[in-house]
Amino acid sequence: MSESPFHHLMPLCQLPARATGRICELTGDSEFCQRIREMGFGESVYVTKIAGNGTILCQLNGTRIGLSHDAARQILVERVGSR
Amino acid sequence: MAKAPVYAIVGNPNCGKSTLFNALTGLKQKVGNYPGVTVEKKTGTLYSQHGQPITIIDLPGAYSLAARSPDEAVTRDVLLGRREDTAQPDRVLCIVDATNLERNLYLVHQVLDLGRPVILILNMMDLAAQAGISIRVARLSQMLGIPVIPCEAVNGKGIIELKLAISRHDLPLSRHAWDIPAPIAPAVAELQASLVSNGGKAPLIARAEALLLLTDQDSVRVAGSAPLDAKTQEILRSWQSRWEAQGVDWAGTLVSSRYEAIGRLASEVAQSAKPSAQTLSDRIDAVVIHPLWGWVVLALVMTLLFFSIFKFAQAPMDWIGDGNAALAGWIRGLMPDGDLRNLLTDGVIGGVGTIVTFLPQILILFFFIGLLESTGYMARAAFIMDRLMGHVGLNGKSFIPLLSSYACAIPGIMATRTIEDPKDRLVTILVAPLMSCSARLPVYLLMIAALFPGPTYPIAAKVGIMVLMYALGTIGAFGFAWLFKRTLLRGKPPLMIMELPPYRLPRIKDVLLQMTERAGLFLKNAGTVILAISIVLWLLAAYPKSPAGATATEQLAHSFAGRAGHLLEPVIKPIGFDWHIGIGLISSFAAREVFVSTMGVVFSAESGGEDTTSLRHALNAARWPDGRVLFTPLVCITLMVFYVFAMQCMSTIAVVRRETNSWRWPLFQTAYMTGAAWIICFIVYQSGTALGF
Repeated sequence: MSESPFHHLMPLCQLPARATGRICELTGDSEFCQRIREMGFGESVYVTKIAGNGTILCQLNGTRIGLSHDAARQILVERVGSR
Repeated sequence: MAKAPVYAIVGNPNCGKSTLFNALTGLKQKVGNYPGVTVEKKTGTLYSQHGQPITIIDLPGAYSLAARSPDEAVTRDVLLGRREDTAQPDRVLCIVDATNLERNLYLVHQVLDLGRPVILILNMMDLAAQAGISIRVARLSQMLGIPVIPCEAVNGKGIIELKLAISRHDLPLSRHAWDIPAPIAPAVAELQASLVSNGGKAPLIARAEALLLLTDQDSVRVAGSAPLDAKTQEILRSWQSRWEAQGVDWAGTLVSSRYEAIGRLASEVAQSAKPSAQTLSDRIDAVVIHPLWGWVVLALVMTLLFFSIFKFAQAPMDWIGDGNAALAGWIRGLMPDGDLRNLLTDGVIGGVGTIVTFLPQILILFFFIGLLESTGYMARAAFIMDRLMGHVGLNGKSFIPLLSSYACAIPGIMATRTIEDPKDRLVTILVAPLMSCSARLPVYLLMIAALFPGPTYPIAAKVGIMVLMYALGTIGAFGFAWLFKRTLLRGKPPLMIMELPPYRLPRIKDVLLQMTERAGLFLKNAGTVILAISIVLWLLAAYPKSPAGATATEQLAHSFAGRAGHLLEPVIKPIGFDWHIGIGLISSFAAREVFVSTMGVVFSAESGGEDTTSLRHALNAARWPDGRVLFTPLVCITLMVFYVFAMQCMSTIAVVRRETNSWRWPLFQTAYMTGAAWIICFIVYQSGTALGF
């Protein structure tokens, strides 16, 4: 069964473990947005949350990145499936 | 003969720059498996295939030329030719982690804009193959128009091909072009022209700086030490206000358009088989960063470290101790009694010999730290500490400098250069020396030996006290960081974004290299600073001579050192210390381990040169004038607590002065740490005494 294309946006921190999301919006201040864009967290990029409720571990383009909870809260994603 | 070119090695953090630098130059720059090992540029020489010397500059890792932290600023400033101490590199070796080509190419893309010949090195090709990633190297080279060398720097593969490419006289310039988005292109052109005419920059450097000014909101930070000229500043402000009115996200658009260009490149040259199963790193991380098991693992690692220090160091310590005794005995048999003989046996062997006894523990400590650094665990420790650090007002990234400070505060303070926010960096610098460094180890071990004399005491008790001291320093560091973040250096807790490298088997060669380097430093320190202090201290303890017939104790009390100790005694008596300990506190201001050598000299002098080997016995026999035992268990604990908190290290003060560019912060740090040490010791000693200990 195919995934529905109409998922609600959710912060990356709320994405379940092992689920993948597509980054739709960065809501932090411009300094933060610019930094994470340069690290590859651009809009439309796919990110998989690996673990964590407080500090979270995610995978992006094959790289693991640890993000503070507040940082992950500012990355809005659309869930697209599980890894 | 043409001038030999200067190459700079540039790449993302932890992609193997220093490993490559070592492979090319034969030097032994420190390497590790965590981001931020290199925080300053290092220069080495490679000989081309024609025998021509070529300078190679190893630079700190950066994700972008829009530098956010002091270490990234070093990379940006060297590449843009802004450093007075370093010529602008003629050519650039861009090294990328082949397992994450797209993200790594972002920095390469910015470097290509500088208009210098670039060689692209695809490192970790073996790991990329394991991850199912295949890269069409020839196609990438064709598309970029520059040499692309696949490589495994850690195994030396691809190094010969790279050396051949480096030796080439005629490296091509990249023909890769990308389109600056239409709304932004006129601004880049205008800023570039202004930077050329008003800022005196070369055209391509001016273009790169124009792009950085538009990528980073903070133009002062981009401009570096030389302020941006007024005209360029005005042009920048005018464009920014225009875009704000039109709702154009110029900075985001620039990054996105670069990534689009890179995405096209990457999709053409790299293919990735979708990972289906959990990787080994996934499985290890499931335990190591687990909210509960992660802490258990951290506690086990620390306990194993301290257990090993006690368990495995005893035999070599005894050998060194026996060697000292034999050497002192040999000198006594060789020379007639007199000041020179006493200087050698009490001053040199009593001081330097005692401190060298602790070499095995130092080696074990650095062996463990080396393992942690090379496996990838450092970043995990920072990860699990992030939440706790958040309560303090810092983030997990600050924990890496603090962890490094367990070895020595100096590399720890240097490692704060990776911290982006200046206030957070300063807070981390201020608290880093509270983490128990290797120089405290001899003091703790001596006090634990006095506390638990003989082999009848269980090793767990000794390990427990040691863990307690390390924990106390860590809690102290967190407590003071919390205090400073709420008073002197207020600010929001920073957000952590940190790459966690895949786990790797430790490279024993690197670990041993680090161990031998640190052991060399320790012995060098023992043979120079501690030797000098021991000799001076022996002189100060031996002169002026007291009247004939005085006992050894009376002679010591009469000496300059004894008088200095007596002068300090009223201040330290409330915390249970006498003038003997006072001498140690004064001399160990140079370096903490000097306390042990000082006790060696002081008690050797007092014993009349009869016994230079068993300092522990001398401490247990020491008495107050009224006959009370001096080194009671409570005093031993209080003394350890003093060394946990007090700032007893001249080298750290010098490094803090350099890193903060003022005397204000090192003086403040010395005052708060030593003040806190006295107050906490007063509470511990007076409470302990009141409770009957």
